[in-house]
Amino acid sequence: MVMLRRKMLRDMKLNSTQFISIFLMALLGVLIYTGIQVNWVGMEREVNRYYEETDLADIWVISRYFTQDDVDRALALDHVVQAVRRLSIDGIADIPGRPTLRVHLLEEDRISRPYVVEGEIFDLSRKGVWLDASLGAAHNMKIGDTLAIEVAGTSFSLPILGLIHHPEFVHNVKDDTMMMPNPGDFGFAFVPKSAVENVGSFLYNQLLLTLNDQTDTDQMLEQIETLFPDRFILQLTRVTHPSVAVFQVEIEQQQAIGRIFPVVFFLIVVLSMFTTMIRMTVNQRSQIGILKAMGYSRGNILFHYISYGLWLGLMGGLLGLLAGPLIIPPILFNMQKAIYTLPNWYAVLSLPDFAAVFIVALCCGAASYLACRRELKEVPASALRPRPPKAGRHTRLEKSSLWRRLGFSTQWNIRDILRNNFRSLMAVAGVLGCTALLIFGLGLRDTLSRINQWMYEDLHLYESKIHLHHAVKEETLEALETIYKGQWILESPIQIRTLHRNETASIIILDKGEKIRFIDRQKKPIVLPGDGIGISYKMAALLNVSPGDAVEWRMFGKRDWHTSTIEMQYFAPIGQGIAMTKALYEQQTNSHFVPTALLSPSAAPDVEGNAAVSTVQRRSDLIQNLDALLENIEMIVIILILAAVLLGSVVLYNLGTLSFTERIRELATLKVLGFYPAQLEALLQKQNIWLTITGILLGLPAGYALLIFLLSTMPDSLDLPAIISVPSYGITILGTLALSMLINKILFGKIKDIDMVGSLKSIE
Amino acid sequence: MSLIQFEHVCKEYRQGTNVIHAADDVSFEIEKGEFVIILGPSGAGKSTVLNLLGGMDSVTHGAIYIDGEDITKYNENALTAYRRDAIGFVFQFYNLIPTLTALENVSLSKEVRRDALDPQATLAQVGLSEHINHFPSQLSGGEQQRVSIARAICKNPKLLLCDEPTGALDSETGILILALLQKMSREHRHTVVIVTHNSTLAPAADRVIKMRSGKIMSQLVNPAPVRIEDVRW
Ligand SMILES: Nc1ncnc2c1ncn2[C@@H]1O[C@H](COP(=O)(O)OP(=O)(O)OP(=O)(O)O)[C@@H](O)[C@H]1O
Ligand SMILES: [Mg+2]
Repeated sequence: MVMLRRKMLRDMKLNSTQFISIFLMALLGVLIYTGIQVNWVGMEREVNRYYEETDLADIWVISRYFTQDDVDRALALDHVVQAVRRLSIDGIADIPGRPTLRVHLLEEDRISRPYVVEGEIFDLSRKGVWLDASLGAAHNMKIGDTLAIEVAGTSFSLPILGLIHHPEFVHNVKDDTMMMPNPGDFGFAFVPKSAVENVGSFLYNQLLLTLNDQTDTDQMLEQIETLFPDRFILQLTRVTHPSVAVFQVEIEQQQAIGRIFPVVFFLIVVLSMFTTMIRMTVNQRSQIGILKAMGYSRGNILFHYISYGLWLGLMGGLLGLLAGPLIIPPILFNMQKAIYTLPNWYAVLSLPDFAAVFIVALCCGAASYLACRRELKEVPASALRPRPPKAGRHTRLEKSSLWRRLGFSTQWNIRDILRNNFRSLMAVAGVLGCTALLIFGLGLRDTLSRINQWMYEDLHLYESKIHLHHAVKEETLEALETIYKGQWILESPIQIRTLHRNETASIIILDKGEKIRFIDRQKKPIVLPGDGIGISYKMAALLNVSPGDAVEWRMFGKRDWHTSTIEMQYFAPIGQGIAMTKALYEQQTNSHFVPTALLSPSAAPDVEGNAAVSTVQRRSDLIQNLDALLENIEMIVIILILAAVLLGSVVLYNLGTLSFTERIRELATLKVLGFYPAQLEALLQKQNIWLTITGILLGLPAGYALLIFLLSTMPDSLDLPAIISVPSYGITILGTLALSMLINKILFGKIKDIDMVGSLKSIE
Repeated sequence: MSLIQFEHVCKEYRQGTNVIHAADDVSFEIEKGEFVIILGPSGAGKSTVLNLLGGMDSVTHGAIYIDGEDITKYNENALTAYRRDAIGFVFQFYNLIPTLTALENVSLSKEVRRDALDPQATLAQVGLSEHINHFPSQLSGGEQQRVSIARAICKNPKLLLCDEPTGALDSETGILILALLQKMSREHRHTVVIVTHNSTLAPAADRVIKMRSGKIMSQLVNPAPVRIEDVRW
């Protein structure tokens, strides 16, 4: 059907603005979908390969010590394939900055092997250290350099034999309250046990197990628990191991975002395609008639119109499939490389990417089909006559006394809307989508840009946070306080549980001072009580507890559980957990308060050469860090706004033209009756404004719901209430209204020139 | 047997409660190769009859035989095939596809019917070799109507049906168009049926069917038709 294909191409050229918008939206939908899809599929494949290649442990058992006998007993358990013990301990690398070094002493390397990037392969018989490649790069350390390590009161020096990554340090941070790794301050090292034989004796504090495939991990955990009745143990699995879990959440979040955005775009594509094709087929009514008269079958003509959608969807989709994997992964990888360490970053095409193209093409085809079905139902003879005007019905409304008081233009418009209810509904839907996208995009921006204000204006009132090394002596603390002033804080990851639930969270324990404030949901300041703990709203929701309830908690690496009563709930946008006073902490745990950081009012404290200080985080750096995140959001917001404008214009333009063709006789009559063009325009604009306002009123809650949904896919550590600022509401409402009125004006400008009186005759 | 036989054909349109009898017990016959004119005032039912004959609409009752086959018994597919293979239509408003050139409009016929004639040759036949690559908007009314005739005869149809082919043209161009149709009928033994208001054309037809209010008023065979050009206007 060469001629019909030519007709299609020329029709598209004639309506190029609309078809290009639809094409772009199909392209954008598939581009975003496949871009994100290939990204996370690639990350998932690489991390699994990485875990497999390095034989990452399935279970980590952590305790004070493990004997060779313990290893043998673990190995004897069913389903356990390998078992090795090792020592993992935080020390200090004796280089400028004195970063914390998590040192691992290995007896065996069958499980969780280092992944060598440069240098010798890991060898248990060599005397040397294999160092975190990121830390090495940050401190400019090379193979062959000698590294002095202070650990557990002793120290030793060894040559660097290799620079490595490690599967347990994909998220390479000191503890999981940190989001970004800081290789200047923290890293890890692996050392063969034999290399430090002469330094002293160490106890192995970790037991690593790999299991065969068909094992129920939870059951395994119970069995292992019974293996060590005499001592306290902590067990981690691949679900709870901080690095493994965080990376998994990252993948899942991408999955979720990769799903909703395309759905939104697909809906826009379908709506635009549908209205465009309705307009097209209505205007080509007599062309359809002539094709039928010539002997083209219903199927021929149907396929002709469906192919508008199919081709457009297919072309847009294919281009999106091509561009998405090229454009998006490099951007995302760049952001993620700052957070995660993987040996390789690559994108992987999978079946769903091709399916997306297919689905877009099918959706467009289906929209075209639905649009032209109506015009094809008639017998060929009547297709060649103009569509008979819809019979006017008198509604009950028109008989009421109120009706008579409404005035002509209101009456006319109400009648017109009721008579063309389908078209009116589509117009409302188009405006709804446009408004929802705008409010969603702007709201997303408002919500995320509020984080900075909350964190660093409302909640955290210090200028810098001076992190300390472990076990700093009391005199040193006093000395520090006199220099830098401020408030002491102890932060630590904890396990927190109720009878039914178990979560990992963080605790903050505060000495006296006012550097950290607490606010409630209404943003009103509240104080941390002295007789009970505070819990963040999100953590309370995760644990399903409320004030008055008790929770049990213990610090990571500590043995004892403590029971505390919740006295207050506070709002924490980032980092969920509990908070308590120093006094309460010391009373409840019977232990001494050892701070991990000092919250200082000094913007740039000079800590150079102070051995107790590990790093300093300045307020401005923290703010900048979040601002960088926001810049990426900016791009998404622009895309959403563009999509909203395209959707609104395409749908309103289509329906406007359509309604004009259908109303031309009526308008002609009014003109003959002596209406001025300006009056006609006002008449049409009135209806347009009604429909637009209805669409806006429905679109605002829809966009808000979309925003809430997106925020619900955020990680558990974030608690971001949806915020839409007044200017955002203003821009959305006025922008949509202006867009709609502008399009109506353009349309009216076009139809004004048509000889309406002539059109009255031609239909006779 | 005649090529076309209408037997008691009725076509009713229902509009709410009242029924319009657009064709009311219509019976007539047309022989192969005849040049036929259907005359009658507006609303007489001429277009209705032509549409029924062309398989464009279905009868309420009655039978229409074409070469002995009753097309009112056809289903949609058979009707489509009938329109494709046996019928060429020419309409008052030309109904060309505006986005296709003259040649492409004619080529549509070739696309649906394998034994169609050469589109370019057909355009030459109607005297349009010069304009084959023009779009309808670049052609005059008369030229557009000639393209539309070329499109119809290109299919080499058994029946050429023309609904007021000169309705939108000035009389001189109209004569040219009608003369062209008459020539087709004479030279290629095409059966041509033309609907018109213009009764002065009657002497040029082999057969004249007169209609009024959906009924056949008279039917006469003209033993010595004159050439269109010689008709007194
Ligand atoms: N689809 C339809 N629905 C309702 N009535 C119809 C329809 N088609 C035709 N009619 C009616 O049938 C009658 C005959 O119409 P038809 O078009 O056959 O007349 P005509 O002789 O061709 O008139 P004209 O010379 O004006 O074209 C008219 O009264 C017309 O209103
Ligand atoms: Mg007619």
